[in-house]
Amino acid sequence: MNKQTINVPDVEGFARPRTRMDFLKALAAASVGAVAGSALLAGNADAQTYGGGGGGAAPAAPAGGDLEIANFALTLEYLEYEFYLRAVDSGVLSGDALAAVTMLRDTEGAHVDALIGLITENGGTPVAEPTFTFPADAFSSQESILNLAFTFEPVGVGAYLGAGTMIQAAPVLAAAASIAGVEGEHVVTVGNLIGVVPPANTPFPAALTQDEVLAAVAPFLGMGSMMDTGGENPVASSGKAYCGKAY
Amino acid sequence: MDGVESRISPVGFDREYSRRNFLKTAAIAGAAAAAGAGGLAFAARPAFAVHEGYQAAGPLAILQLAYKLELLEGTFYAEGINAGIFAGNSFAETQIAAIRDAEMTHADALAAAIVDNGGSVPATPMLTFPDGVFADPAAFLNLAATFEPVGIGAYQGAAPALIGSPLLGSALSIHNAECQHWNAIKILNGVVPPNNVIFEEALPLEAVLEAVAPFGVTA
Repeated sequence: MNKQTINVPDVEGFARPRTRMDFLKALAAASVGAVAGSALLAGNADAQTYGGGGGGAAPAAPAGGDLEIANFALTLEYLEYEFYLRAVDSGVLSGDALAAVTMLRDTEGAHVDALIGLITENGGTPVAEPTFTFPADAFSSQESILNLAFTFEPVGVGAYLGAGTMIQAAPVLAAAASIAGVEGEHVVTVGNLIGVVPPANTPFPAALTQDEVLAAVAPFLGMGSMMDTGGENPVASSGKAYCGKAY
Repeated sequence: MDGVESRISPVGFDREYSRRNFLKTAAIAGAAAAAGAGGLAFAARPAFAVHEGYQAAGPLAILQLAYKLELLEGTFYAEGINAGIFAGNSFAETQIAAIRDAEMTHADALAAAIVDNGGSVPATPMLTFPDGVFADPAAFLNLAATFEPVGIGAYQGAAPALIGSPLLGSALSIHNAECQHWNAIKILNGVVPPNNVIFEEALPLEAVLEAVAPFGVTA
């Protein structure tokens, strides 16, 4: 699976304040792994635990790091849910694509709910849903929706696989693995709809580093001229227009 | 292929038996799918269950079982391709061949990991498959659709027992590949939409063993 190689030169440059706050919260959550370095997640299937823990027995209850990972996952699920919600509402989908995307919407929504429940039940505070922006033509055709979906889904898989090796509590890992697998199914469903043959084509789906995940999703957290917010002010409050390079 | 004895079935073993047996364990997984169209609501989270059997078995036994499961799957897909039942369907043949290769790649990786962990690679089991399954694409794909959730359930069930182990990353990646296979099989089976699962299900170790025993795989 291709790694996301989008560079994010300056997060502050293209996030609106409200979004930025949420985004940085997610960033902080993702950064728990930074202690041990992003080499931990660099697509290395042998990645070890983080934070000096090491290989002891799993603690019974989720600690702070696990909840921060769950919050980071929640941000990604919000993004996917919002994307598929708008995709279904766009009215441009039909047939098998409509059936699949409708289920994608419902599934990502259920993942949002599950993560909120997991975080809340373990004493954490779920992050609020950021305001997302999507490319101006994102919902203009079935093809554009499916193509963008095909960029989202591998990021979701990679994020869960990357974060999974840092999780220390069994119940959190159980949830992450369950959801990660579903995102893997989504890669195949969407790939098939856009003509990838064979749609299931990798023996080892790749983990992504947190930096790679953040780079991939940052463009959807507020930006400049190439983006349409779908309702709200698209320009960063600084007035500085950012020309996203990836989309 | 060595170790395959596809003509000889266990006593009382026919396709319906095998399907019932699998569906019993797969039914747990199906429960999540059934809740599918309900929007945001979901009733419970049995999918997130942590099964203690894997912890008790330990990493080496988990690897050895996983190796045998991959051989079961890889051999099954190889036999289907070799039988030529997808010769007229290049999409299906390409996909099944890719899954076959992935399962064998998994088996190789697991064998290496077993050795790295000081264990011995299990002998190839004498595998048995239901009569006729390599003669009929529909029967073959139906059986594939019951194999995949068992593999998924095994890896997902094992994952919490691998916390803190350098094996966890590989296990999660292979688990994900199995989920991708399941989706591909659903596509080949004409399931619309194929993404009909909201949460993948972990299976207890005993349920995995019960499901694969009819095919000749034991702990």
